[in-house]
Parts: sequence; C-alpha cells; structure tokens
Amino acid sequence: MMDGQTLMLVVAGTTSVAPGLRRVHLLAADGARLPPAAAGAHITVSLPTSSLSGRLRNSYTLVTADPERGYELIVRRADRSRGGSQHIHEALSIGDVIEATVPHNLFALHSQAKKHLLIGGGIGVTPLLAFLARLRETKALFELHQIASPAETGVFTALLAPAAGERIHVHAGRAGLDLPALLAAQPLGTHVYVCGPAGLMDGVDTCAAALGWPASHVHREDFGAAGGEPFKLTLARSGIALDVAGDQTMLEAIEAAGVDTPSLCRGGACGVCMLPVLDGEPEHRDHFLSPAERAAGCHIMPCVSRSRSATLVLDI
Amino acid sequence: MATRFKPDETFRDDFRYANSDDAIMRFPFPFGEDGYMYGVNIEPHTRPGSTGAFAVAFDVDEHYVAECAERATVLALEPGRCLVLPHMREAEWDTLELIMESLAADYPDQFTLERSGDVWTWTNRPLNIHQTFRFGDATTLLHPPFEYITRQAQGDFTLQDQRDGTLYIDGGIATVPADWSLAFDVGMTFHEWHGPVPLAHQAGVFDRALQYLMRVRYGHPARRLNWTMTINPRLDTSPENYPLWGPDRTILDAENIATRLFLRVELQTFYRLPRSNALLFGIRTYLASLADLTRVPKWGCRLHRVMRDLHPDIIGYKGLSRYHELLVAYLAQFDDGTTTTAGTDPEVAVLPS
Amino acid sequence: MTSQPRYAQLAPFASARAHLLVSDHPHLADLVFAPGHGVADFAERWIVVSHALVMPKPFGGPGEQQFRSPSHLLALLRHRLAAETMGLRLYAVGSEPFIWDAARIGHEAGMGREEMQLYACGRPERRVSCVHCRTVTPHVTTTLVTCDGCGVTLTVRDHFSRMHNTWMGVQCDAEVPGELPAIEDLSA
Repeated sequence: MMDGQTLMLVVAGTTSVAPGLRRVHLLAADGARLPPAAAGAHITVSLPTSSLSGRLRNSYTLVTADPERGYELIVRRADRSRGGSQHIHEALSIGDVIEATVPHNLFALHSQAKKHLLIGGGIGVTPLLAFLARLRETKALFELHQIASPAETGVFTALLAPAAGERIHVHAGRAGLDLPALLAAQPLGTHVYVCGPAGLMDGVDTCAAALGWPASHVHREDFGAAGGEPFKLTLARSGIALDVAGDQTMLEAIEAAGVDTPSLCRGGACGVCMLPVLDGEPEHRDHFLSPAERAAGCHIMPCVSRSRSATLVLDI
Repeated sequence: MATRFKPDETFRDDFRYANSDDAIMRFPFPFGEDGYMYGVNIEPHTRPGSTGAFAVAFDVDEHYVAECAERATVLALEPGRCLVLPHMREAEWDTLELIMESLAADYPDQFTLERSGDVWTWTNRPLNIHQTFRFGDATTLLHPPFEYITRQAQGDFTLQDQRDGTLYIDGGIATVPADWSLAFDVGMTFHEWHGPVPLAHQAGVFDRALQYLMRVRYGHPARRLNWTMTINPRLDTSPENYPLWGPDRTILDAENIATRLFLRVELQTFYRLPRSNALLFGIRTYLASLADLTRVPKWGCRLHRVMRDLHPDIIGYKGLSRYHELLVAYLAQFDDGTTTTAGTDPEVAVLPS
Repeated sequence: MTSQPRYAQLAPFASARAHLLVSDHPHLADLVFAPGHGVADFAERWIVVSHALVMPKPFGGPGEQQFRSPSHLLALLRHRLAAETMGLRLYAVGSEPFIWDAARIGHEAGMGREEMQLYACGRPERRVSCVHCRTVTPHVTTTLVTCDGCGVTLTVRDHFSRMHNTWMGVQCDAEVPGELPAIEDLSA
C-alpha cells in the first residue's frame, strides 16, 4: 500500500468466466495486507488506453475482498469501450502492476432491513455476489433475481452456483421476471438493491414507487459523481490561464499552478475556499451556498464544484 | 517516543494532575481568532498538523496510563457507559483494527501488532498487555472488541451507522463526556443528538457538517476542535453524575481560578470504517488550566477576548454562566490591547514560566 | 432545539398502497388533519374506546376498529405489521407517549420514518427519564418534576429520545441545592 489514498496492485490471476466475462485476482504489489471492504464496495483502477491521453479510470466492484487473500473483480468486455475493459480482456497479464484507489462504498446493505431483495442485470451481478456472501454469513433473509440475456443464463447460473438455493433465480431477459408481482409480494421492512443497465434500475425505481415503496428502501449502484469534464480556468487577478483535468478538482488545479488560496474541509461544506466568479457558468456541487446564491452564479467552491461552460473566470 | 507517563495521576477526588511544559506547548488550543462562533470547522486529519496532537491518528500523551486507569474505574462503577447496538458488531472489529494498526504505526516503541491470518498478537507496553486472540472471534478477548480496544485509548468514541440520508449514533464509550449521555442519546440521528446546541442549527452548521461527514472516505479521515470549561481536571463530567460535580461550579474565586478552572478541548476525529462502512468518531479530550495556558502570552490575550465577547447563548449552553464574569475579569491582565496574529500557534520557542 | 419533535397535521401520503391510522382516543378531531383532509382519507382507523366489550379485527378491512386500551391496540399492531407487505403507511395520533410507542412498533417491523406520520394532541404530557437514576416518571405536565426514583428535582431538558420515548431529566439544583427556577406548565 502506498499511502492512505492509492494502492499498487499486482495481477495474481485472470480467468475467463465466460466469453466476454473475465475474473481478475489482485494482491498488493508489495505483498502487504490490503484494506478490508464492506460488501458493495468498489475500487477505481487506472488503466492505459489506446488513445493519446494516456490513462483511464474505471470503477469495478470488489466481488470478494480480503486483506490477505486479495481482491477479485469480474469485468465484462464492453462493446463501446474507451479501452479499459478491452485492456483487461486482451492485455492484462499476471505480474502486471496497476494503480487503484482504496475501496469506497456507495452501495451498502441497510442495517435495518428485515429482508434484502437483490435484482441484477448482466454484469450488475457483481455487487450482488458480494452481498450474497455477507448475507449468508449473517443468516439474513434475502432473495436474488438475476436477469441475463437468453444466451447467458447458463453463465450466470454457474456464477451464482456456489450460493445456489431456492432463493436464487436467473431469468432469461427482463420479460422473464414479473417485477410488479415480485415487489408487491415483499413483506414490510424489505429493502431492494438493483444493479444493472440504467433501464433496469429506472424500471425498479418506477415500479417500486407505484407500489408504494418509500425511496429509502430502494437502492441502486452509483459510482459517484467525482470528477467531470475538463475545462479552462482563468484567474483574472493573477493573470493565469490553466486547464482543469477531468479527474482533478478546481482547487487542486489552482494549487498546482502555485496560487495560494484558502481551504479547509475540501469537501464543499465549510465555505472557506469560496471564490468570486467573474464569468462563466458554475456547476455547483457544494453544500454551502443557498439556492439563491447558486442561481446568482457569483461564487463557487473550487474544492468540489466545476464549470458548465467551457471557460470559467475567477476573481483571484 | 520520549513520553514519560505519570501513572499516579487522578481525575477525581484528589485531582493529582499536571501538564508538563511539553504538554502545554502541544495543547490543541482551539481559538485561531479573537472571537468564537459555531461553524463547520472540519478539516482533513492529515499529518502533520500544527501541533503534535494532530501528527498521529490517535494521540498518546503523558496522561495515557492514568487515563486508561480512570476509564477502568468508571466502567467498573458504570458498565453501561460502553454500549454498542447489535447491528454494529462489524464496526467493533473495524475499530479494534484501526486503533491497533494506528498505535503500532505511530508509536512502534510502545505498541506492536503481529498478524498471521486471523491470529493476532497485540502488545501494549505502557499498560503491560500482551494478548493473542482470533480477529473476529469475541470469545478470544476479555471484553467485546470495541470495549477491549477503547480501554486502551484516550478519549471517548462513538460509532455511527450511515443510513436514510443521515448518521445514527448506534454505539460508543463515554467515560469522559462533556455533559452528554450515551445511554440517552443512543439511536438518535446527527441532528437529534446535537439538538441542545444553541445557534448552530439556525446557521445551517449541522446540515453542512452532516453532508461533509457522510462523504468521509476510508483512508481520508477528518477532524475538528470543540471546547468547553471544567472545574478541576475532572474527566468524567457526565450528566449521570452531575449531582456530584455540579457543585464545583460554585467554588471558583479570584485566588483559585487560575489553577482550578480548565479549558477542556476535544480533538474530534472522523474515520470511515472499512468492513462496516460505519463512521467512527474519536473525542480525544485535553485539559489545561488557565495558569498553564496563560503562560503563552498570545493564548492568554486571545482567551480574554474570546471569553469577553462570547455570545450569551453559548455561555449558557457551555455551563459558564456562574463564573463568566470572574473569568473575564481574571483574563483581563493578559490582554495588552495589541493585535494578535491569526492561528493557534503559541509563537514562543520555549514556554515562559 | 431539533431533538424536540415537530408535528404536522396528517395528510395521506400520495404514493402509498394502503393507510392505517391508529389513535389512543375515540374521537379524531378536525384539527388533527391538514386543511382539505379528514377522516375519509383514512380508510382503516383504529381507536381506543377504553372498555372491554369490543372484539376488533386486526387484519384489515375498511372502517373503524375499536380497541380496549392503548396496550391492547399496540399489541395487535405488532401482529398486523408482521403480516403486512411493502407500501403501507402508518399514522399515529394522540398523546405523545402513545404515538412514539406506535412509531417504535413500526420501526421494529422495518418501517422507516418516511413511512409514518405522527401527531401529538391533547394536553401535553411527557415521560421523563432521570439521567441520574434511570427511573421514568410518566405523565409529566410541568417543566420541573420530582423524580419518582431518587427524589431529586428534575428540569426537563429539551432533549427527546425516540428510542426510549422519554425526555431527559437532569437535576435542576445540583450546583446550588434549593436554587430552583419557577415551575411552569408545559402547555404554557
């Protein structure tokens, strides 16, 4: 492990689970223990791409995570890929070292659920596999429904086989699952977790709401909105023009340019880093400005917020 | 680590307690300006910070051995001061791992952690503990894991479950609380347990602090400072025992205030726990008398201004009402009327006597 | 002081499958409901009539069911919720201790706060938990009260625990024994 922020991982094994599905086993490059993680956590790995820009950052669920046995990912080769999954399927080999973030969890099991209903579509099964291990450990009440294309039902049945039982169901296509009937039958206190194509997740959202489920009992995987599109930043008083990269915050870009600007929490909550905006349209992601202040567009928190316009001009 | 522990210190009854010059110089003085108001004063808990107290994950200082003994005393009398709801079992092991790893990394001369699979051996030299146990198996430890490890750390700790868009205080240990009850507050949300705090709610402080805390990530802890005042170096100022320590608030006079009135600072740290995805709050508590702190000219001057101009609601909430006037009158002698520099740095290389 | 619960008049949740309203009082006054809403919006209502000559049906069906006491109602509520499916909303009306007892049963059945609405009405009364001796003194209607357990005079702090369904009582004159503020009625 490098520091609190990055992991150097070595590929200890790769196996083809099925055409287009590859399991990757990762250990710490220096042989140290890896951070543990809660079921549903993911890591963001940095992969080379075929394009000139160099690196690509993709997030993958930790199907298993153990400090000594390491991490396992299952990666689907995407048809329209920026190159990340292609690299994993075609080029990644045992012994390769890749950089990754420490685990982060935006899709966790709810501590008060009386029953956990898991719904997956395609590669969305990966966090559900992690959930299954945990739910079996705690002997919690659960049910899993995996939607696979007709050609792949065998693949997912095999993938789920170690956990097989009458609570695991694989359906051929979305039509194979009667979602309204499934949701309507769930006892009070059930939480539903869905991961898969946006259409599936939106479908569960809509159907659950129509049946009277409160939003707090419906959970979907969301890798989070850190980073964004790159944009140009002009610091009017310093006379500096700089580029803010997609995976860099505005504050980091300003600091990298050697400009001294105050900051404290670096999470959009305290207001210390607030800067005046002279031109451009802010994309606010903070928790400090009021709706009126956001609409006025005269101030911005560079630690988390970005720009909607191609250029943003700040009065520093 | 050059710390010399003072195992015979006490925080009750005869109050055998003193801060060395080192302890005073590294004290986490909370006032960076000449006035105080509630705000979201959270920052990343990176190392190093401005004093030794910020340079490690969980600070161990000269009072460590005595504070652990004090905790053991409180738990022997009131075992309910450590309480963890059943769904937080995983967070207990997370806490044990975090504190053991941190102490062993920050103080390798004093603490050692050896691991072979899930068989762990923990050595705590200051407390003369050598324990082999199986991580994940509570039957191999003398106490449940959260209690086991917090008995070997300074300060209180709470465990927060993150769900439904807020944090729930679902466990903790409170043997050095600044007038709050874990037994009463358990199960409350972030806004509820902060209910009694004046002014901050209207200013939206808790709304923003909650958003920040819910986004704290593993490997990226955060911290803030909180403060109040205590008569005598008494750590256990629980509401449960208020009948016993409440009368202390009437004993101050101009002669004894310097040595009997203590600034009580909480270094609060916030850690995301990996297996449970829960949040651990550390509430590391420091006590220094006015006599101690006013040896630093800048601190004496600033204390006068902060206390003189403190909002009446804050005076009331922090329990200072009875002696506030006396306090300001005493501190006036340290205020020379000149401009003070921003920040909390003592700005002296050696503590004047 | 935000641990103090704030109550809004009842209005049926828009997106629910079913609604169950419970009350510790036989009559549901108009003021309990938000403007434009009333008893007719809540197809199933459980009320307490405080006598034993009733046999309520706890497992559903529209209309009013009558229960013998708050305890009788709450015991059957637990059974009812255990048999329910997702989409139910629970509404509790009445004394503050009763509505939080009902909320606790909802919570234990796996319901979240956003699946329940509570409305306290009638003369304010509180359960007060003495932080010193843990005794709960019920039916408190004043700002100061003598603890049923250890006898100290407690000031009722503006701090409420949903989990315990009690307000926090702390000794009022710990600093100077006998120095007490004026006692006030809670409904003042």
